[in-house]
Amino acid sequence: MTTTRPLLLGAVAYTPNVVPIWEGIRDYFAGTGAEMDFVLYSNYGRQVDELLDGAIDIAWNTNLAWVRTVRRTDGACRALAMRDTDLSFATVFVTRPGSGLRDLTDLKGRRLALGSRDSAQAAILPVHFLRGAGLAPSDVDLLRIDSDLGKHGDTGRSELDAIRAVLDEQADAAALGITTWEAIGRDELMPGGLEAFWQSPTYCHCNFTALDTLPAERSDPWVAHLLAMDWDDPAHRRILELEGLRRWVLPDLIGYASLFDAVQEQKIPDRW
Amino acid sequence: MVSRVVLDLVERVSAVADGATVEVPLGPSDADTVAAWCARTGNELASIRDGYAVVRRGRRALAGDVPEPPARLWLYTNFDCNLACGYCCARSSPQAARRALGVDRVRRLVGEAGGAGVAEVYLTGGEPFLLPDLDGLVTVCVAKLPTTLLTNGMLFRGSRLAMLRRMPRAGLTLQISLDSATPDRHDRHRGRGTWQRAFDGIGTARAEGFRVRVAATVAPDEDDAGDRDSFHELLDRLGIPREDQVVRPVAQRGFATDGVALTVQTLLPEVTVTADGVYWHPVGADHLDQLVTRQLFPLRVAIDEVHRRFAGYRLSMAEAAQRFPCA
Repeated sequence: MTTTRPLLLGAVAYTPNVVPIWEGIRDYFAGTGAEMDFVLYSNYGRQVDELLDGAIDIAWNTNLAWVRTVRRTDGACRALAMRDTDLSFATVFVTRPGSGLRDLTDLKGRRLALGSRDSAQAAILPVHFLRGAGLAPSDVDLLRIDSDLGKHGDTGRSELDAIRAVLDEQADAAALGITTWEAIGRDELMPGGLEAFWQSPTYCHCNFTALDTLPAERSDPWVAHLLAMDWDDPAHRRILELEGLRRWVLPDLIGYASLFDAVQEQKIPDRW
Repeated sequence: MVSRVVLDLVERVSAVADGATVEVPLGPSDADTVAAWCARTGNELASIRDGYAVVRRGRRALAGDVPEPPARLWLYTNFDCNLACGYCCARSSPQAARRALGVDRVRRLVGEAGGAGVAEVYLTGGEPFLLPDLDGLVTVCVAKLPTTLLTNGMLFRGSRLAMLRRMPRAGLTLQISLDSATPDRHDRHRGRGTWQRAFDGIGTARAEGFRVRVAATVAPDEDDAGDRDSFHELLDRLGIPREDQVVRPVAQRGFATDGVALTVQTLLPEVTVTADGVYWHPVGADHLDQLVTRQLFPLRVAIDEVHRRFAGYRLSMAEAAQRFPCA
């Protein structure tokens, strides 16, 4: 009799909650025939390296980690699934009320605070959106707040510091991921403090990434069981709430197009 | 100046594990903002004090690990006793006032108990066999829930033996106190000759077809592994299964000047009703610090209050443990 090794999944430890999240997901797969285990990395660069080296079968990747995986494998990889919330990520540009900013073009000659340079939502895509609005890099004074590098903005700390810079009048505006904007209560919990003046089109965020070498007979049952997690089941719901979704969905790769463009335009290296 | 408290909340709460707490300093008008943020984001505002908000990541249900307290209901049938044991947590003795619950209140209590989540009833005292109507009271309980009757087992003679014989066998366990395998230690606390009478009582009850559990109470300076072995060997020889052989420490309550110190914060609650009120646990049934309410009815209200306090104590302890690391 042969036994199949559990699928090994990699994730980045950006919060203590990744332990109960992945232990819960691992336990959810126990006894299903699609067993999995997980390892935690301190940064996405290491995780992608390990995926490419075959040390892990699946990586829970940010959008930047996905783009880098595609570029480094010449497309010999595939996205297996994502959160429903990954389908509708967005970047929000915020400013102080009365700043006179109403559109991205108003940022010409002003100072914009950006989050960590490896954050798609708070640094890479905002610059791409400025370019789309017809602004050259030299048109806007960029205040880059690099913190928690390697975690692709997952901790949100650089975005909070960007907000502080705006409130302290060290910057005219800040670019935030929609989740950070929601986490601070949008413009409702800091009356007179912040307002949004532009929101980007939606784009995709995280996904489970595998190399093409992972056989479908191994990945398909795993994906099928993942998609069966049920918000109405209290045991599943706890995990789904911690990971920030209501249901797992199949990926929509079109939602990564803007980030591929941004990485190419800005010559973001495939690894740092 | 715009308050930064929301930014502090997001930063600090996102850095800790689900169920952990953080402290966030408050400005003069931040309290409402913190409450609104917690309500909006599904985190819990645990407390506001001394210029700080204590916020727990996640909701209380997710903070988790607050176990359900035992689904037991203890009823103190009376407080008077034929013995005056030196460690009695209820201060029972021949001089103690009876303070009986009475069959009518017991009937109502056990009638409400099942609907309040109670799974089993324990009758204790005092010495319940001093009550002339104990068999009726026991029958009322057994008709509703599995019942254990605690006794010193010394009074199974004459009319009290007849009363014992009238009690139902099914659904009833007699828990008889026997502190040691030999008379010395038992008699030291309970009085000369009491070991033999209790031992005989165990035999009588078993001969009458009752399930008998034997419970020893052990003082701190008497907890000896050899004595424990002897105790279990004696009961093994009688054919009493190990699950019905109980050894428990003396609680520092009532007459006991030494023993395990117990508070509502450290004790798993076992809801206890006396003629005077509803208490946290049977070891504290004669102590005001464990009084939950003077209102016996409806029982559900008292039990819900015990559960609410229990969850609060557990979460406060978890908070305290996280707030006072020494290094």
